[in-house]
Amino acid sequence: MIDTIPQTTIIVVIIGMGLVNFCLRFIPMAALSRIALPKALMRWLSFVPISVMGALFAKEVLLPSTEYSPMAANPGIYGALVSMLVFKASKSFIGSTLAGVGFYLMVRWVFTLMGFGV
Amino acid sequence: MSTPSYTTHRKKSTRHVPGLSKVGDRSDFSRGIKLGLPIFLGYLPVGLAFGILATQHGFSPLEALLCSATALAGAGQFIALATLLAGGNALTTVIATGVVNLRYVLFAATVSPHLKKVGFKAMSWLGFTLTDESFAINIADLRNKTATQSSMGGVGLISWIGWVAGTGIGVTCSSWIGDPSKWGVDFAMPAMFAALFVTLAENHKHVLTGVFSGCIVIALAMANHFGIAIDSNWFIVIAALAGATVATLAFPHEQAVESGEEITVVAHKESV
Repeated sequence: MIDTIPQTTIIVVIIGMGLVNFCLRFIPMAALSRIALPKALMRWLSFVPISVMGALFAKEVLLPSTEYSPMAANPGIYGALVSMLVFKASKSFIGSTLAGVGFYLMVRWVFTLMGFGV
Repeated sequence: MSTPSYTTHRKKSTRHVPGLSKVGDRSDFSRGIKLGLPIFLGYLPVGLAFGILATQHGFSPLEALLCSATALAGAGQFIALATLLAGGNALTTVIATGVVNLRYVLFAATVSPHLKKVGFKAMSWLGFTLTDESFAINIADLRNKTATQSSMGGVGLISWIGWVAGTGIGVTCSSWIGDPSKWGVDFAMPAMFAALFVTLAENHKHVLTGVFSGCIVIALAMANHFGIAIDSNWFIVIAALAGATVATLAFPHEQAVESGEEITVVAHKESV
């Protein structure tokens, strides 16, 4: 464990991270966009977005601190529900996000008053 | 680069084929910026946290900003800090962030069939700004058949601004803002994911797939609880691979929602 990272290391890491992260994103995008992918792979890929979203939802909403917390005491559940409902009605990402955040704050505040200690 | 008559023709068709006229492109770009606003909100506090941590451990404010501006790597940047602080050298640190961000390969592959007509110059921007959140917004927009190269570029730009601005606030004036979570900004990303889940869940098979992946994440977290240590940075990619694979096997008759060709991002004819 060190306290301060040496300057040369920082510079090398910044350059290296920039390159590696760009290559990870750009190379598969560029290569795969120019070839016809097999039908089976396309079918598999078509399930990736919803799988990613289910996973992100679970990680961010149900596991706020990477530890599973009881459903009812987690204000995120209520905020997420409101966000979903508002999105159903409005189809607006920013509207549903703001509504979700607003409701989340309210529930968190009520829970704090009730001594849930979120 | 195009003849005036062609321009007129394209203007007529903008309604049906977004992204073809120059005016349409600019409005698509600002539509992308608006679409990405929730990402901007969500990135501010996380970028801020990175700015604070990085400057506490030897990064100059400029270096922290530069790191955010060039890597745009979310969790990857925090992993880099942790690896460096644990005494890792530059090489192991860069490898560690690359490994954590391997999921970008999966995202890039998923988006790629839509980008058949996008030139490499524009694609380098779309690739550079590919994150969990921009991927999610853009893929939802692609499914909706409203995405264009310009709108995706706009989503990328506003995400990048949020991340860099957050870092900038973190390295300069964090002390008088205090804990950003009191404004609830820590919940912006989860709230956006909830809405995205709704828009991506096109039918009950998709709902089941998403719920299954979510359960995998919970199971992985539980496993951690019982002493089987899986780093939480791997949860998303493990669950996504498992979810997509199980769904492909379980729903053999579900056709790919899009044949890449059909809703390929409409690129500017003149720029390709």
